Amino acid sequence: MTQAASFQADADTNSLSDAVAGSTDRARIACPSCDLLFDVTDLPDGATANCSRCGNFLTTNKSDAFERVTSACIAALVMLAVACAFPFMQFSRAGLENTMTLPQTVMELWNNNMPWLAIIVASFILIIPAVVTICMLVLSITLTRNHSPSWLRQLGSTVFHLQNWSMVEVFFVGVLVSLVKIAKMATIVLGTSFWAYAAFTVLFTLAVTNLDKFQSWQKIEALAAE
Amino acid sequence: MSNARTAASQDLSSCHICLKLVNSELHHCPRCGSAMHKRKSDSLQRTLALLVTSTILYIPANILPIMYTDQLSNSAGSTIMGGVVLLIKLGSIPIAAIIFIASVLVPSAKLMMMYYLCWTVARGNLGSERQRTVLYRVTEFIGKWSMIDVFVVAILVALVHLSGILVFRPGVAALAFAGVVIVTMIAAESFDPRLMWDNLEEETEDE
Repeated sequence: MTQAASFQADADTNSLSDAVAGSTDRARIACPSCDLLFDVTDLPDGATANCSRCGNFLTTNKSDAFERVTSACIAALVMLAVACAFPFMQFSRAGLENTMTLPQTVMELWNNNMPWLAIIVASFILIIPAVVTICMLVLSITLTRNHSPSWLRQLGSTVFHLQNWSMVEVFFVGVLVSLVKIAKMATIVLGTSFWAYAAFTVLFTLAVTNLDKFQSWQKIEALAAE
Repeated sequence: MSNARTAASQDLSSCHICLKLVNSELHHCPRCGSAMHKRKSDSLQRTLALLVTSTILYIPANILPIMYTDQLSNSAGSTIMGGVVLLIKLGSIPIAAIIFIASVLVPSAKLMMMYYLCWTVARGNLGSERQRTVLYRVTEFIGKWSMIDVFVVAILVALVHLSGILVFRPGVAALAFAGVVIVTMIAAESFDPRLMWDNLEEETEDE
Protein backbone atom coordinates (compact mmCIF):
# COMPACT_ATOMS: atom_id res chain seq x y z
CA MET A 1 0.00 0.00 0.00
CA THR A 2 1.00 3.63 -0.26
CA GLN A 3 2.98 5.33 2.45
CA ALA A 4 0.25 5.40 5.07
CA ALA A 5 1.73 7.16 8.05
CA SER A 6 1.04 5.09 11.11
CA PHE A 7 -1.30 7.07 13.25
CA GLN A 8 -1.08 5.96 16.84
CA ALA A 9 -4.34 6.85 18.47
CA ASP A 10 -3.48 7.69 22.02
CA ALA A 11 -5.67 6.27 24.74
CA ASP A 12 -4.24 8.42 27.49
CA THR A 13 -5.35 11.66 25.85
CA ASN A 14 -8.91 10.33 25.72
CA SER A 15 -10.34 12.01 28.75
CA LEU A 16 -13.47 10.65 30.33
CA SER A 17 -15.53 13.68 29.32
CA ASP A 18 -14.50 13.18 25.71
CA ALA A 19 -15.45 9.57 25.77
CA VAL A 20 -18.87 10.03 27.33
CA ALA A 21 -20.14 13.49 26.41
CA GLY A 22 -19.22 13.42 22.75
CA SER A 23 -20.58 9.95 22.25
CA THR A 24 -22.95 10.84 19.44
CA ASP A 25 -20.88 12.85 16.97
CA ARG A 26 -17.40 11.46 17.62
CA ALA A 27 -16.22 8.44 15.67
CA ARG A 28 -15.08 6.00 18.34
CA ILE A 29 -13.82 2.48 18.08
CA ALA A 30 -13.05 -0.20 20.66
CA CYS A 31 -10.02 -2.33 19.83
CA PRO A 32 -11.44 -5.71 18.73
CA SER A 33 -8.70 -7.60 20.52
CA CYS A 34 -8.27 -5.70 23.82
CA ASP A 35 -11.39 -3.48 24.07
CA LEU A 36 -9.52 -0.21 24.59
CA LEU A 37 -11.45 2.87 23.41
CA PHE A 38 -10.11 5.25 20.79
CA ASP A 39 -11.35 8.42 19.18
CA VAL A 40 -10.60 8.19 15.46
CA THR A 41 -12.63 11.21 14.30
CA ASP A 42 -9.57 13.21 13.26
CA LEU A 43 -7.71 10.42 11.53
CA PRO A 44 -5.91 12.14 8.60
CA ASP A 45 -6.48 10.98 5.04
CA GLY A 46 -4.27 8.04 4.17
CA ALA A 47 -3.43 7.27 7.80
CA THR A 48 -3.82 3.98 9.63
CA ALA A 49 -4.78 3.65 13.29
CA ASN A 50 -3.35 0.87 15.41
CA CYS A 51 -4.16 0.09 19.03
CA SER A 52 -1.54 1.62 21.35
CA ARG A 53 -1.90 -1.20 23.90
CA CYS A 54 -1.91 -4.41 21.88
CA GLY A 55 -0.87 -3.18 18.44
CA ASN A 56 -3.96 -4.50 16.66
CA PHE A 57 -5.09 -2.80 13.45
CA LEU A 58 -8.09 -0.54 14.03
CA THR A 59 -9.00 1.34 10.87
CA THR A 60 -7.54 3.16 7.90
CA ASN A 61 -8.89 6.32 6.33
CA LYS A 62 -8.58 6.60 2.56
CA SER A 63 -10.79 9.13 0.83
CA ASP A 64 -10.84 7.21 -2.46
CA ALA A 65 -11.14 3.76 -0.89
CA PHE A 66 -14.59 2.96 -2.31
CA GLU A 67 -13.57 3.94 -5.84
CA ARG A 68 -10.54 1.66 -5.52
CA VAL A 69 -12.77 -1.18 -4.33
CA THR A 70 -15.18 -0.64 -7.22
CA SER A 71 -12.48 -0.77 -9.88
CA ALA A 72 -10.71 -3.75 -8.31
CA CYS A 73 -14.01 -5.66 -8.05
CA ILE A 74 -15.02 -5.04 -11.67
CA ALA A 75 -11.62 -6.21 -12.91
CA ALA A 76 -11.71 -9.17 -10.52
CA LEU A 77 -15.13 -10.31 -11.80
CA VAL A 78 -13.96 -10.21 -15.41
CA MET A 79 -10.89 -12.25 -14.47
CA LEU A 80 -12.99 -14.76 -12.54
CA ALA A 81 -15.30 -15.25 -15.54
CA VAL A 82 -12.28 -15.84 -17.78
CA ALA A 83 -10.79 -18.21 -15.21
CA CYS A 84 -13.91 -20.35 -15.19
CA ALA A 85 -14.36 -20.51 -18.96
CA PHE A 86 -10.91 -21.40 -20.24
CA PRO A 87 -8.55 -24.36 -19.63
CA PHE A 88 -6.56 -24.07 -16.43
CA MET A 89 -3.78 -26.56 -17.05
CA GLN A 90 -2.98 -29.29 -19.52
CA PHE A 91 -1.26 -32.50 -18.53
CA SER A 92 0.32 -34.75 -21.14
CA ARG A 93 2.31 -37.92 -20.86
CA ALA A 94 3.21 -40.64 -23.34
CA GLY A 95 1.07 -39.16 -26.08
CA LEU A 96 -2.01 -38.92 -23.88
CA GLU A 97 -3.29 -35.66 -22.58
CA ASN A 98 -5.88 -34.27 -20.23
CA THR A 99 -7.09 -30.70 -19.94
CA MET A 100 -8.47 -29.39 -16.70
CA THR A 101 -10.72 -26.41 -16.09
CA LEU A 102 -11.39 -24.73 -12.77
CA PRO A 103 -14.94 -26.10 -12.32
CA GLN A 104 -13.53 -29.56 -13.05
CA THR A 105 -11.49 -29.55 -9.83
CA VAL A 106 -14.86 -29.53 -8.11
CA MET A 107 -16.65 -31.92 -10.49
CA GLU A 108 -13.94 -34.58 -10.26
CA LEU A 109 -14.17 -34.64 -6.46
CA TRP A 110 -17.93 -35.05 -6.82
CA ASN A 111 -17.46 -37.90 -9.31
CA ASN A 112 -15.09 -39.61 -6.91
CA ASN A 113 -17.87 -39.94 -4.33
CA MET A 114 -16.67 -37.01 -2.27
CA PRO A 115 -19.62 -34.61 -2.52
CA TRP A 116 -18.82 -32.86 0.76
CA LEU A 117 -15.24 -32.21 -0.19
CA ALA A 118 -16.46 -30.95 -3.58
CA ILE A 119 -18.84 -28.52 -1.86
CA ILE A 120 -16.11 -27.32 0.53
CA VAL A 121 -13.57 -26.74 -2.25
CA ALA A 122 -16.17 -25.07 -4.52
CA SER A 123 -17.21 -22.73 -1.69
CA PHE A 124 -13.70 -21.68 -0.74
CA ILE A 125 -12.25 -21.09 -4.20
CA LEU A 126 -15.22 -20.05 -6.35
CA ILE A 127 -18.57 -19.44 -4.66
CA ILE A 128 -17.53 -17.39 -1.61
CA PRO A 129 -14.96 -15.30 -3.53
CA ALA A 130 -17.54 -14.61 -6.27
CA VAL A 131 -20.29 -13.70 -3.79
CA VAL A 132 -17.92 -11.49 -1.76
CA THR A 133 -16.67 -9.71 -4.90
CA ILE A 134 -20.20 -9.02 -6.14
CA CYS A 135 -21.30 -7.81 -2.69
CA MET A 136 -18.20 -5.59 -2.33
CA LEU A 137 -18.89 -4.13 -5.79
CA VAL A 138 -22.53 -3.32 -5.00
CA LEU A 139 -21.56 -1.96 -1.57
CA SER A 140 -18.80 0.29 -2.88
CA ILE A 141 -20.92 1.63 -5.75
CA THR A 142 -23.85 2.33 -3.42
CA LEU A 143 -21.59 4.11 -0.94
CA THR A 144 -19.79 6.25 -3.55
CA ARG A 145 -23.13 7.33 -5.00
CA ASN A 146 -24.44 8.12 -1.50
CA HIS A 147 -27.49 5.88 -1.80
CA SER A 148 -29.04 4.21 1.20
CA PRO A 149 -31.28 1.31 0.16
CA SER A 150 -32.94 -0.75 2.89
CA TRP A 151 -30.80 -3.82 2.16
CA LEU A 152 -27.51 -2.01 2.65
CA ARG A 153 -27.06 -3.23 6.25
CA GLN A 154 -27.70 -6.81 5.26
CA LEU A 155 -25.19 -6.46 2.42
CA GLY A 156 -22.59 -5.00 4.78
CA SER A 157 -22.83 -7.82 7.28
CA THR A 158 -22.71 -10.42 4.49
CA VAL A 159 -19.48 -8.95 3.12
CA PHE A 160 -17.67 -8.75 6.45
CA HIS A 161 -18.95 -12.15 7.57
CA LEU A 162 -17.85 -14.01 4.44
CA GLN A 163 -14.53 -12.25 3.85
CA ASN A 164 -12.58 -14.52 6.21
CA TRP A 165 -13.80 -17.61 4.41
CA SER A 166 -12.43 -16.92 0.98
CA MET A 167 -9.29 -18.89 0.19
CA VAL A 168 -8.26 -17.68 -3.25
CA GLU A 169 -4.64 -17.00 -2.29
CA VAL A 170 -4.35 -20.35 -0.50
CA PHE A 171 -5.68 -22.13 -3.58
CA PHE A 172 -3.17 -20.34 -5.76
CA VAL A 173 -0.26 -21.52 -3.62
CA GLY A 174 -1.83 -25.00 -3.84
CA VAL A 175 -1.72 -24.73 -7.63
CA LEU A 176 1.97 -23.84 -7.53
CA VAL A 177 2.73 -26.73 -5.19
CA SER A 178 0.91 -29.24 -7.38
CA LEU A 179 2.72 -27.90 -10.45
CA VAL A 180 6.09 -28.67 -8.92
CA LYS A 181 4.82 -31.99 -7.60
CA ILE A 182 3.99 -33.36 -11.06
CA ALA A 183 6.40 -31.35 -13.19
CA LYS A 184 8.79 -34.28 -13.34
CA MET A 185 6.05 -36.76 -14.17
CA ALA A 186 4.78 -35.18 -17.35
CA THR A 187 4.57 -32.05 -19.47
CA ILE A 188 2.39 -29.33 -18.01
CA VAL A 189 1.01 -26.48 -20.09
CA LEU A 190 -0.49 -23.50 -18.29
CA GLY A 191 -3.77 -22.26 -19.75
CA THR A 192 -5.40 -18.82 -20.01
CA SER A 193 -7.43 -19.56 -16.92
CA PHE A 194 -4.29 -20.00 -14.81
CA TRP A 195 -3.17 -16.43 -15.49
CA ALA A 196 -6.71 -15.11 -15.11
CA TYR A 197 -7.01 -16.74 -11.68
CA ALA A 198 -3.62 -15.29 -10.70
CA ALA A 199 -4.89 -11.82 -11.65
CA PHE A 200 -8.14 -12.49 -9.81
CA THR A 201 -6.19 -13.39 -6.65
CA VAL A 202 -4.29 -10.08 -6.76
CA LEU A 203 -7.37 -7.95 -7.55
CA PHE A 204 -9.51 -9.67 -4.93
CA THR A 205 -6.86 -9.10 -2.25
CA LEU A 206 -6.62 -5.47 -3.33
CA ALA A 207 -10.38 -4.99 -2.99
CA VAL A 208 -10.50 -6.68 0.43
CA THR A 209 -7.62 -4.63 1.85
CA ASN A 210 -9.11 -1.36 0.59
CA LEU A 211 -12.56 -1.97 2.02
CA ASP A 212 -12.19 -0.83 5.62
CA LYS A 213 -14.78 -2.33 7.95
CA PHE A 214 -15.05 0.61 10.35
CA GLN A 215 -15.15 3.33 7.67
CA SER A 216 -17.71 1.40 5.61
CA TRP A 217 -20.06 1.07 8.56
CA GLN A 218 -19.62 4.72 9.54
CA LYS A 219 -20.68 5.67 6.02
CA ILE A 220 -23.60 3.21 5.95
CA GLU A 221 -24.84 4.71 9.22
CA ALA A 222 -24.37 8.28 8.05
CA LEU A 223 -26.33 7.60 4.86
CA ALA A 224 -29.13 5.85 6.75
CA ALA A 225 -29.48 8.83 9.08
CA GLU A 226 -30.01 11.31 6.22
CA MET B 1 -1.64 2.69 31.09
CA SER B 2 -3.10 4.12 34.29
CA ASN B 3 -6.14 5.86 32.82
CA ALA B 4 -6.62 3.59 29.81
CA ARG B 5 -10.32 3.06 29.24
CA THR B 6 -11.96 0.06 27.75
CA ALA B 7 -15.39 -0.04 26.21
CA ALA B 8 -16.56 -2.44 28.90
CA SER B 9 -15.58 -0.03 31.68
CA GLN B 10 -17.88 2.56 30.08
CA ASP B 11 -20.77 0.06 29.85
CA LEU B 12 -20.33 -0.08 26.11
CA SER B 13 -20.15 -3.12 23.87
CA SER B 14 -18.47 -3.26 20.51
CA CYS B 15 -20.53 -4.98 17.81
CA HIS B 16 -18.47 -7.84 16.41
CA ILE B 17 -19.85 -7.32 12.91
CA CYS B 18 -19.78 -3.54 12.43
CA LEU B 19 -17.64 -2.34 15.40
CA LYS B 20 -20.45 -0.02 16.53
CA LEU B 21 -20.22 0.99 20.19
CA VAL B 22 -23.56 0.57 21.88
CA ASN B 23 -24.94 0.47 25.40
CA SER B 24 -24.23 -2.94 26.93
CA GLU B 25 -27.91 -3.41 27.79
CA LEU B 26 -28.98 -3.66 24.14
CA HIS B 27 -29.45 -7.12 22.66
CA HIS B 28 -29.22 -6.18 19.01
CA CYS B 29 -26.93 -3.78 17.24
CA PRO B 30 -28.91 -0.72 16.07
CA ARG B 31 -26.58 -0.33 13.09
CA CYS B 32 -26.28 -3.78 11.54
CA GLY B 33 -28.92 -5.75 13.44
CA SER B 34 -26.67 -8.56 14.66
CA ALA B 35 -26.91 -9.99 18.18
CA MET B 36 -24.87 -8.07 20.74
CA HIS B 37 -22.64 -9.50 23.45
CA LYS B 38 -20.21 -7.69 25.70
CA ARG B 39 -17.83 -10.59 25.12
CA LYS B 40 -18.36 -13.47 22.71
CA SER B 41 -20.77 -15.77 24.57
CA ASP B 42 -19.33 -18.89 26.25
CA SER B 43 -16.12 -18.16 24.39
CA LEU B 44 -13.86 -20.54 26.33
CA GLN B 45 -16.29 -23.49 26.35
CA ARG B 46 -17.09 -23.16 22.66
CA THR B 47 -13.45 -22.76 21.66
CA LEU B 48 -12.40 -25.76 23.75
CA ALA B 49 -15.22 -27.94 22.37
CA LEU B 50 -14.22 -27.03 18.81
CA LEU B 51 -10.54 -27.62 19.59
CA VAL B 52 -11.30 -31.12 20.91
CA THR B 53 -13.37 -31.81 17.77
CA SER B 54 -10.57 -30.81 15.46
CA THR B 55 -8.02 -32.75 17.51
CA ILE B 56 -10.15 -35.87 17.02
CA LEU B 57 -10.48 -35.17 13.28
CA TYR B 58 -6.73 -34.66 13.10
CA ILE B 59 -6.15 -38.37 13.81
CA PRO B 60 -7.88 -39.82 10.69
CA ALA B 61 -6.52 -36.90 8.68
CA ASN B 62 -3.00 -38.14 9.36
CA ILE B 63 -3.48 -41.92 9.50
CA LEU B 64 -5.73 -42.48 6.47
CA PRO B 65 -4.55 -41.91 2.89
CA ILE B 66 -5.17 -38.43 1.53
CA MET B 67 -4.76 -39.53 -2.10
CA TYR B 68 -4.63 -42.79 -4.09
CA THR B 69 -2.39 -43.22 -7.10
CA ASP B 70 -3.61 -45.80 -9.64
CA GLN B 71 -0.71 -46.59 -11.90
CA LEU B 72 -1.52 -49.30 -14.50
CA SER B 73 -2.99 -52.03 -12.28
CA ASN B 74 -1.40 -50.90 -9.01
CA SER B 75 -3.23 -48.75 -6.52
CA ALA B 76 -1.31 -47.09 -3.72
CA GLY B 77 -2.58 -44.73 -1.04
CA SER B 78 -0.40 -42.02 0.44
CA THR B 79 -0.80 -40.23 3.73
CA ILE B 80 0.23 -36.62 4.36
CA MET B 81 3.56 -37.62 5.90
CA GLY B 82 4.02 -40.26 3.18
CA GLY B 83 3.70 -37.51 0.58
CA VAL B 84 6.30 -35.40 2.34
CA VAL B 85 8.74 -38.35 2.55
CA LEU B 86 8.16 -39.12 -1.14
CA LEU B 87 8.90 -35.52 -2.12
CA ILE B 88 12.14 -35.58 -0.10
CA LYS B 89 13.15 -38.81 -1.88
CA LEU B 90 12.38 -37.18 -5.24
CA GLY B 91 14.65 -34.31 -4.26
CA SER B 92 12.02 -31.54 -4.10
CA ILE B 93 13.07 -30.31 -0.68
CA PRO B 94 11.40 -26.84 -0.93
CA ILE B 95 8.01 -28.32 -1.87
CA ALA B 96 8.38 -30.98 0.81
CA ALA B 97 9.04 -28.15 3.24
CA ILE B 98 5.94 -26.19 2.12
CA ILE B 99 3.69 -29.25 2.45
CA PHE B 100 5.26 -30.17 5.78
CA ILE B 101 4.84 -26.66 7.18
CA ALA B 102 1.32 -26.14 5.84
CA SER B 103 -0.12 -29.58 6.56
CA VAL B 104 1.76 -30.84 9.61
CA LEU B 105 3.43 -27.97 11.43
CA VAL B 106 0.74 -25.27 11.06
CA PRO B 107 -2.33 -27.32 12.13
CA SER B 108 -0.61 -28.93 15.10
CA ALA B 109 1.05 -25.65 16.15
CA LYS B 110 -2.29 -23.89 15.80
CA LEU B 111 -4.08 -26.46 17.95
CA MET B 112 -1.40 -26.24 20.63
CA MET B 113 -1.37 -22.43 20.58
CA MET B 114 -5.15 -22.29 20.95
CA TYR B 115 -5.10 -24.81 23.82
CA TYR B 116 -2.37 -22.73 25.45
CA LEU B 117 -4.37 -19.49 25.08
CA CYS B 118 -7.51 -21.11 26.53
CA TRP B 119 -5.45 -22.50 29.39
CA THR B 120 -3.88 -19.13 30.25
CA VAL B 121 -7.29 -17.44 30.24
CA ALA B 122 -8.83 -20.19 32.39
CA ARG B 123 -5.94 -19.97 34.85
CA GLY B 124 -6.41 -16.24 35.33
CA ASN B 125 -4.24 -14.89 32.53
CA LEU B 126 -0.62 -15.98 32.78
CA GLY B 127 2.12 -14.28 30.84
CA SER B 128 2.23 -11.09 28.78
CA GLU B 129 -1.11 -9.93 27.33
CA ARG B 130 0.53 -8.36 24.33
CA GLN B 131 2.53 -11.46 23.45
CA ARG B 132 -0.52 -13.67 23.72
CA THR B 133 -2.54 -11.27 21.56
CA VAL B 134 0.17 -11.54 18.91
CA LEU B 135 0.03 -15.32 19.28
CA TYR B 136 -3.74 -15.22 18.76
CA ARG B 137 -3.39 -13.05 15.68
CA VAL B 138 -0.86 -15.51 14.27
CA THR B 139 -3.27 -18.44 14.78
CA GLU B 140 -6.01 -16.43 13.11
CA PHE B 141 -3.80 -15.63 10.14
CA ILE B 142 -2.25 -19.03 9.49
CA GLY B 143 -5.47 -20.99 9.91
CA LYS B 144 -6.62 -21.16 6.32
CA TRP B 145 -3.18 -21.88 4.88
CA SER B 146 -3.46 -25.50 5.97
CA MET B 147 -6.01 -25.99 3.18
CA ILE B 148 -3.12 -26.09 0.68
CA ASP B 149 -2.87 -29.87 0.82
CA VAL B 150 -6.61 -30.35 0.25
CA PHE B 151 -6.43 -28.03 -2.78
CA VAL B 152 -3.39 -29.88 -4.10
CA VAL B 153 -5.42 -33.11 -3.96
CA ALA B 154 -8.36 -31.45 -5.75
CA ILE B 155 -6.11 -30.11 -8.51
CA LEU B 156 -4.16 -33.34 -9.04
CA VAL B 157 -7.34 -35.43 -9.13
CA ALA B 158 -8.80 -33.22 -11.85
CA LEU B 159 -5.57 -32.81 -13.79
CA VAL B 160 -4.00 -36.26 -13.75
CA HIS B 161 -6.66 -38.43 -15.27
CA LEU B 162 -5.27 -40.76 -17.93
CA SER B 163 -7.61 -43.74 -17.72
CA GLY B 164 -5.80 -47.03 -17.23
CA ILE B 165 -2.36 -45.42 -17.09
CA LEU B 166 -2.25 -42.90 -14.30
CA VAL B 167 -5.21 -41.77 -12.22
CA PHE B 168 -5.23 -39.87 -8.92
CA ARG B 169 -8.20 -40.36 -6.58
CA PRO B 170 -9.00 -38.41 -3.40
CA GLY B 171 -8.80 -40.19 -0.04
CA VAL B 172 -10.98 -39.86 3.07
CA ALA B 173 -8.19 -38.02 4.89
CA ALA B 174 -8.69 -35.04 2.55
CA LEU B 175 -12.22 -34.58 3.91
CA ALA B 176 -11.06 -35.10 7.50
CA PHE B 177 -8.27 -32.60 6.94
CA ALA B 178 -10.63 -29.99 5.47
CA GLY B 179 -12.73 -30.59 8.60
CA VAL B 180 -9.73 -29.91 10.85
CA VAL B 181 -9.04 -26.61 9.07
CA ILE B 182 -12.67 -25.44 9.13
CA VAL B 183 -13.25 -26.39 12.77
CA THR B 184 -10.03 -24.73 13.97
CA MET B 185 -10.96 -21.59 12.01
CA ILE B 186 -14.34 -21.51 13.79
CA ALA B 187 -12.51 -22.15 17.09
CA ALA B 188 -10.23 -19.16 16.47
CA GLU B 189 -13.28 -17.05 15.61
CA SER B 190 -15.14 -18.03 18.78
CA PHE B 191 -12.15 -17.25 21.00
CA ASP B 192 -12.41 -13.75 22.44
CA PRO B 193 -8.95 -12.14 22.79
CA ARG B 194 -10.43 -9.42 24.99
CA LEU B 195 -10.76 -12.02 27.76
CA MET B 196 -6.97 -11.90 28.01
CA TRP B 197 -7.10 -8.18 28.82
CA ASP B 198 -10.08 -8.19 31.15
CA ASN B 199 -8.08 -9.35 34.17
CA LEU B 200 -5.63 -6.51 33.64
CA GLU B 201 -8.59 -4.17 33.98
CA GLU B 202 -9.68 -5.74 37.26
CA GLU B 203 -6.13 -5.62 38.61
CA THR B 204 -5.74 -1.89 37.92
CA GLU B 205 -9.14 -1.20 39.44
CA ASP B 206 -8.13 -3.05 42.59
CA GLU B 207 -5.01 -0.99 43.06
